[in-house]
Amino acid sequence: MSSVGGATLAHLPFGDIVIYITPFTLTLFLLALVFTILVIASRPERQLDITFGADRIITKETGLTEMRFRRFMAIACGLASMGAMLTGDVFDFALFTSLVGITNVGIVAAVKSRHVQNAAFQYGLVAMAGTVPLFGAAAMVAATTGTLSMLELAKEATSVVPFAVKAFLVLGVMGEGMAPFYAAKAEMFRAPGAPYVIMCSLSSLLIFLRVIEVVLTV
Amino acid sequence: MWNEYSVGLFIVLISAAIGFLALARETDDFHRLLLIDLVEIPSLAIIALLGTDLAEALILPGLVVGISELLALSQLYIVKEGLRSRPVKSPGIEVIELAHAPLIISVFLVAYGIVLSGFTGGGIAGLGVIFYIMSRGHSERFEIVEMASGISWAVWIIAFFVFMFLPQYWYMAVMLAAVGILLKVAAKMSLMGTMWGAHDE
Repeated sequence: MSSVGGATLAHLPFGDIVIYITPFTLTLFLLALVFTILVIASRPERQLDITFGADRIITKETGLTEMRFRRFMAIACGLASMGAMLTGDVFDFALFTSLVGITNVGIVAAVKSRHVQNAAFQYGLVAMAGTVPLFGAAAMVAATTGTLSMLELAKEATSVVPFAVKAFLVLGVMGEGMAPFYAAKAEMFRAPGAPYVIMCSLSSLLIFLRVIEVVLTV
Repeated sequence: MWNEYSVGLFIVLISAAIGFLALARETDDFHRLLLIDLVEIPSLAIIALLGTDLAEALILPGLVVGISELLALSQLYIVKEGLRSRPVKSPGIEVIELAHAPLIISVFLVAYGIVLSGFTGGGIAGLGVIFYIMSRGHSERFEIVEMASGISWAVWIIAFFVFMFLPQYWYMAVMLAAVGILLKVAAKMSLMGTMWGAHDE
């Protein structure tokens, strides 16, 4: 099997779903793993507001429950990204990607500030709209080729998946991975989301990298 | 060519397009939440069009994902609407009156930064923006800076896809990425002077 991700290192068969590990997917998986461990280990950042001209510095504390929720969401996001990196099934990829979308909404929404929550809501709408082309593409892959396994699809000499279906898949992932566009709101006032907000950027980067591999392989 | 599946797919895609059109025209957040549920249904219909046992197995996770996202969003809507924007007294700050000199200097710095492009250019353009904002006082609109930051990210993604799918247009992608980093660094640098944080929590 020739793949953009390099030579296949191993196969992990789970019944019908065969996970294949290439240097590409392994690297992305390890990246998600390392960042998830960092999120587990890290403490929330405390925001310092400096008042110019008045010589005053205000520290903002993050409550324990709020911190717990954000950390939980960030860890869930890391797990979902790890799944999306390794999976060998188009529908599972769509599921993991939409899970990344939901957890990203949670990470952004955990910041208790009105305009950040507005941003989280708008992002949620985009992520939900993104599930339509995402799942639609997965279903159309099954309808046109009769299989969802990326390994089976990669065996064909020429790509059997129509171009429009691939475009739908990329469009869906773009909708789900739009988080950093909205996370800018949480990120701009750095500390309200830090360091957990980093998972938004990382997970969307990872799913973008993986969808490239999926589209070029199938 | 026009078998049952194609006709069904055509109808579903048209209904999805109508749903998206309604979503794009609607401005009320609550109505958009309801409309997004409507838009979800065509995605289930596309899966159902498979018409095999597999469709039955796939439709359940699709439905669960849709419902959980809808639940999360409606919860978020309740919290969001319940929050009040509290007025905060702004601290006494010495404000330099807006004169022409700061504007000219910052325009020069921003223009020079754009000529340099990339990371250094972003730094210099950001310096120009900081200088301008500091000379104007603190009632700045952060939305613009945030939007610039968001747009720079979108530009990166476009450049990235061009690199991957249309490698023959690599030069355009390089230029897009350079503009993206210029915007991003400029936005981040300009924040350094604007950390009053008084306008919201």
